[in-house]
Amino acid sequence: MKLAQVLNSKGDKIIDKWVTFTLKTYQSSGFFIKERDAFANPVGGQVRSILTQLLPLLLEGRGKDSYRLPLQHLMRIRAVQDFTPSQAIAPLNAVKHIVRESLGGAQRVRELESELYDFEFAVDLAVLSAFDLYTECRHQLHEIRVAELKTGTSILTDSPCPSKKLQAVEKISK
Amino acid sequence: MAVAKLEQLEQSVASDPSMLTGAYPTEDWMDVPAEFYSGNFAFPAKVNIVEYLDSQKGLHFPNAREWSPEQDDWKLPEDWKDIILNGLKERLDKFRSLKIFMDCCVRCGACADKCHFYLGTGDPKNMPVLRAELLRSVYRNDFTLGGKILGKMAGNREMTIGVLKEWFMYSYQCTECRRCSVFCPYGIDTAEVTIIMRELLHLVGVGINWILEPVSNSNRTGNHMGLQPHTFKDNVEFLTDDIESLTGVKIEPTFNRKGAEILFITPSADVFAEPGLYTAMGYLILFEHLGLDYTWSTYASEGGNFGLFTNNESMKKLNAKMYAEAERLGVRYILGGECGHMWRVLHQYMDTMNGPADFLEVPKSPITGTVFQNCASTKMVHVSEFTADLIRHNKLKLDKSRNDYLTVTYHDSCNTARAMGLMEEPRYILKHVVNNFHEMPENTIREQTFCCGSGTGLNTDEIMELRMRSGLPRANAVKYVEDKHGVNMLSCVCAIDRATLTSLMNYWNPNVGVSGITELVGNAIVLDGETRGELDEGLRTMVF
Repeated sequence: MKLAQVLNSKGDKIIDKWVTFTLKTYQSSGFFIKERDAFANPVGGQVRSILTQLLPLLLEGRGKDSYRLPLQHLMRIRAVQDFTPSQAIAPLNAVKHIVRESLGGAQRVRELESELYDFEFAVDLAVLSAFDLYTECRHQLHEIRVAELKTGTSILTDSPCPSKKLQAVEKISK
Repeated sequence: MAVAKLEQLEQSVASDPSMLTGAYPTEDWMDVPAEFYSGNFAFPAKVNIVEYLDSQKGLHFPNAREWSPEQDDWKLPEDWKDIILNGLKERLDKFRSLKIFMDCCVRCGACADKCHFYLGTGDPKNMPVLRAELLRSVYRNDFTLGGKILGKMAGNREMTIGVLKEWFMYSYQCTECRRCSVFCPYGIDTAEVTIIMRELLHLVGVGINWILEPVSNSNRTGNHMGLQPHTFKDNVEFLTDDIESLTGVKIEPTFNRKGAEILFITPSADVFAEPGLYTAMGYLILFEHLGLDYTWSTYASEGGNFGLFTNNESMKKLNAKMYAEAERLGVRYILGGECGHMWRVLHQYMDTMNGPADFLEVPKSPITGTVFQNCASTKMVHVSEFTADLIRHNKLKLDKSRNDYLTVTYHDSCNTARAMGLMEEPRYILKHVVNNFHEMPENTIREQTFCCGSGTGLNTDEIMELRMRSGLPRANAVKYVEDKHGVNMLSCVCAIDRATLTSLMNYWNPNVGVSGITELVGNAIVLDGETRGELDEGLRTMVF
């Protein structure tokens, strides 16, 4: 039996485990796992939808570029949630272990070793993609800060009142 | 072996320090301390700002000092605990609502998963019930007999510096948006619990600069930006120059004109910061089109009232300023621009604090004759109510194809939706000024709308990550309509929204812009004598 066939029959369970594992990185994991309305629970909803899209792509070994699109939103979420970079990305790795576990025994793992190697290589590529995306998100945050300065939003507090400024000028001229 | 590796990975992900408080909690919530580090708190208020505010009539901002949330010692006054407990006692006596909110919660949890901070962070202390419990636990301990007897066993606790630090962290991770209150079967206004926590913190000199400096500026010059009269006037006139370049029509607004029929007040951000500028251009075009007898004021040059995010005294004073100016100018009533919390102050607090404004008349549209009975007491009508009425009576010459470059959705601003019930008028206007309009999912709009994530003075860049994660529920719904319908413009009626949703969209949905409703109205209006060419981006088109 091929790896794809094995996983097709167990796909839902694998996704469930992967989603659960990812959502357990949050303090309120119970709610994030349970609530299925994607608008009432954006983190849980997005994680489920993204990982569901990603698994077949990884199995087919589509390549780094094809993982970027689904991963982009996941990384956007995790890049602003106070995780360290490794914590933000680590749940992606978990799918390797979840898949091996689901094969049910060392014998089956040995039989599918070569296909597992390809699958795990695909996960490695996805992890590298996620690292790029995480960094892009952090960079984007800094650009947004600069944009706020440029559009005048920061003038709300970061500039002194003009009369205060005039007082300072008068002081200097004296 | 595989299982062991998975467990090991799980350990590294879930057990390492993470989340807002800096540690993954394994203890009871009361035993998890608030930890501050760069990026998870807004900067404290500058000493000179607090001193200035404390020196002002009607305001009380004691204990100004240099301090930092990151340091263990917050340099609190020696008797800080007495100040806090006496302050709480005073407020329990003064505000009956607070007493009820402290007593009547049954911890049913209906509010727990409704907060955008909770949904974006997963931090249990962002559940509105638990955020309120931060104060309630102290209230029970010191002000109820049961609490005194049962102590910690019943979830009560003494006021300590750790508790105070927790109040600071979580009362500034609440935008007082009141989404949780919609779901509370007892009608508890959790925002008012946050308001009280912030008030109490100000008594011991704990506040943030992004809020207190605008309060100070508003008190001094009349607006958040600290713009003096000539600067404010210049800025509005720059906008009229832009309108002339775009349409060929020169508009000449008046300022501080006594005897005008209407005083127009809007957030100062509309005349100073993008993209609010385009909304202000919309106001100018609309009023020109109508030939309205109105005036701007360079003193009541701010609709926003950061006093709401500070304490009731500041809120009262900043609100009173608008009415003092209306009385001085002798206008009949006030027309208010697209602001969020200005309308909450108006509808929920103004009458108790400064009302009724008997020296003004009930707003009556000079164009349609409609009397706005909903403003019978405050005498201040919302520009969207005013505009919707004009459209209803077919008084505007509109070419909505001018907005065809946009596919629009509408974000109900928390305050206008939940604090004044303004839900139909903006939608009615949009249906008449744009051809492509799509609603976001039902549980993210109208009274269930999600906050922009940066309201109540949290729109400062040092907490950008916090703002982005708390804005996720809103951005998530925008993403849905962007993917499904190609939405590229998020419209709203709030100046804070216009500033903060712009950053939020830049992060989550970079192809979606943000606009005020009146910008879209202004773009669709066909002015008499205009020589307008093709404007690919409406009022935002650069014309050389």
